[in-house]
Formats: sequence, C-alpha cells, structure tokens
Amino acid sequence: MVKITLNLVVIYLVGGLIMAFVYAKTSPIMFQKAKEEKEAALRLMMPEADTVVKLGDWEPHEKHAEYYAAQKCGELKIISVNDEKTGEMKEEKECLDPQDIGYIAEGYGKGYSSYIHVLASVDRNFVVQKISILSHGETPGLGDEIEKDYFLNQFQGKSADKLLVIKGETADKIQAITGATISSRAVTEDGVKNGVTMLKEKLSGGVEG
Amino acid sequence: MSIKPKSNWELIKNGMFGENTIFRMAISLCPSIAVTNGMKNGVALGVSVVFVQTMVNLTVSLLRKFIHPKIRIPIFMLIIAGYVTIIDMLMATYARAIYREIGLYIQIIVAFASIFARAEVFANKNKVFSSICDGFGMGVGFLLAMIVISFFRELLGKGELFGVSIIAGNPLLIMILPAGGFLAVGLLMGFFNWIDMRFFGGKGASGV
Repeated sequence: MVKITLNLVVIYLVGGLIMAFVYAKTSPIMFQKAKEEKEAALRLMMPEADTVVKLGDWEPHEKHAEYYAAQKCGELKIISVNDEKTGEMKEEKECLDPQDIGYIAEGYGKGYSSYIHVLASVDRNFVVQKISILSHGETPGLGDEIEKDYFLNQFQGKSADKLLVIKGETADKIQAITGATISSRAVTEDGVKNGVTMLKEKLSGGVEG
Repeated sequence: MSIKPKSNWELIKNGMFGENTIFRMAISLCPSIAVTNGMKNGVALGVSVVFVQTMVNLTVSLLRKFIHPKIRIPIFMLIIAGYVTIIDMLMATYARAIYREIGLYIQIIVAFASIFARAEVFANKNKVFSSICDGFGMGVGFLLAMIVISFFRELLGKGELFGVSIIAGNPLLIMILPAGGFLAVGLLMGFFNWIDMRFFGGKGASGV
C-alpha cells in the first residue's frame, strides 16, 4: 500500500515539476507576446490616433473586458530618457495635450458555439468606425464568415440604434450572413451593440473633455 | 490483439490499416467528426496526434517497470496531459501563428481514447522501440483517416480543398455540419469494411 502511494506521489511530483519548469520559462514571454498582439490590434482600430489609453474595465457575459480612449496628441515632444537597464540614452515620445478622438470597447458576443471576442471603435459621437473579431469558435465555413470584410465593413458609420441584424437586403442596418444568423446576431446585437452602449453610458458625461 | 510478436514494420502497418483507430477500432470518433470539416483542420490534428501518440508510447514504455499496475491509469493520464500541456505552452510562446490555428486541437488531445488505449494495451507491455513503432503507426493511421474524411467533407460541403476553391456552384452544406460528419464517417467505415471483406477475406470491423 505504501509502495503504491509512494509510486504515485513520486511520478506526479516529477510530472508537476517538469510542467512548472516549462511554465516558468515560457509564460513571461507568452504574456508579453499576447499583450503586444492586443496592442497592435488596438492601434489598428484607430489608425489616426497617436496613443490608446485604457479607461476602465467592464464585464460582458461575466468575462473581463476593457475599454480605451484613442487619443491624438496636441504636440509630440521627443525627450531623451536614461534607460535604467542598459544605462544608455534613448529617445521617447511624450504626448502633450492629448485629445480624445474616439473610444474602443472590447466585448463578447454569445454565438452559436462560442463567445465571440470583438473590438469596436467609435468616434466621439459614438458612431461605429470599425470592428474586428479577435477570436471565436464558430462553425468553420458558416459562422467564421463573420471574419470577412464584407460583413465587418457594414458596421462603419452605424450608431447603436442601427445595430440590428436583418435577413435580406438592408441599407441602414446589418445584413445577416446566409446560414449564420446566430453568429451575425451575436457580433452585432450582443458584442458590438453592448460595447457601444456601455461606452455611451460611461462616457457621455465627459465627452466634451 | 494477436499474441505472436510482430516485426516493427508490421506494427506500423497494423496501426495504419489493420487496427486503424477510426475505421477499424472505432475509437476516437469525436475528433473524426468535430475537426474534419476542412483538410487543414484534419491534417493539423492528425499531425499533432502522431507526435503525442509516439511520445506517450515512448514514455510509458520507458517507465513501465516503475509503474505499479494498480495505479497505471492515473499515471497514463498524467503522462498524456503533461505532454499536451507542455506542447501547448511551448507553442503559445514560440509559435503563435501556428498556435492560433491549431491550439484548440492540441488541447483536445488530452481526452483521446486512442492514445490512452495504446498506452494501456501496448506500450505498458512492450519494449521501447516496438512501442515507438506502434505509437507512430497508430498516429499515422489516425492522420490518414482524418485526411480521407476531411477530403470528402470539405470537397462536398464547401467545394474547396485546403481553402482553395475546386468546384464552382452550390455545395452540399450539410457535409460540413455535424450531421455530415456522421454520414461521412459511417459511409467510409462501411466502404473500408466492404474492401476488407471483398478483397482480404476479413470479417469487417465488427469481427475484430
């Protein structure tokens, strides 16, 4: 009995140690890369902005999501900073007098077989500028059409009350993808619309800043 | 399982055809339906399985003298889950582009009946090199099955292969939906049984 227990304990300890070692080695690099990818995606949402600043957190579908302000600098000042690690001087840009030109919300929409992770950017009047799908697990061949430009481009210039999915031709609302109405709805009426509405509620007081 | 020892080549061939995971043993059928709606998915999962299956067989065979028979099941679980977790972490760090495509499939390998079955049936009782051959053969057999199923499903369901358009016109949408997976696997299994009985004098999958 003791022998069996020892056998199990030893093997599990060794296995656990190996996994812990790999995790310790890889996770800092992995989180760094994931952060960089998200920042790159955020910059793409508002190419004309100079910086993207985090404003706060919210929880759609009990998941953690963030929202951001896209800012244009009144003046870019280049300053020299002493890098603490290398001791060398390097140039860094300092943003003076930043102006909010729009906002970006991260959101989740409950789709056919997954939560669809979206980003939506709006201008200062909360009209959608651009949306992008960060990740999803919808049916390949049907639901994954939500990644295609012909669907995503429909969102530009829509305010929150126009974010409705219509089956068939529509000029001022969002046209559903054939065979993927649930995924289309999840992106439009859940992910993006809730994100835009949330931004409006939280920020409409301070828009004029 | 036959009792007489087989040569290494026979072991590989056995895994690929004689005891093909999906068409002959009828295990690991979930991924054969869930992940075969496109060639790219099928091949990605198949290749991952070849690797994990071979490594798990190697490890189990190396450790077979240390594993107490009464607790072999939890230990096999640890070995499989350990490999999958480590590959998952390594890919998420160093191969993010591939990880975004097949990361999901790597994670579902943890629950693969076929890998578990080979650890229990074969690697636990045989020498290291034979176990490697067996694992590799089983993995390749799985890969071949995935290729055949996803070939028909993607071609009929989307008119494409590897995302490249082959047939114009309206495809049979049902083939890339779950129902089409059952149809494809069932018909192909029947077809291979027919070949086995017609040309090799076998008894079909039910006779194994």
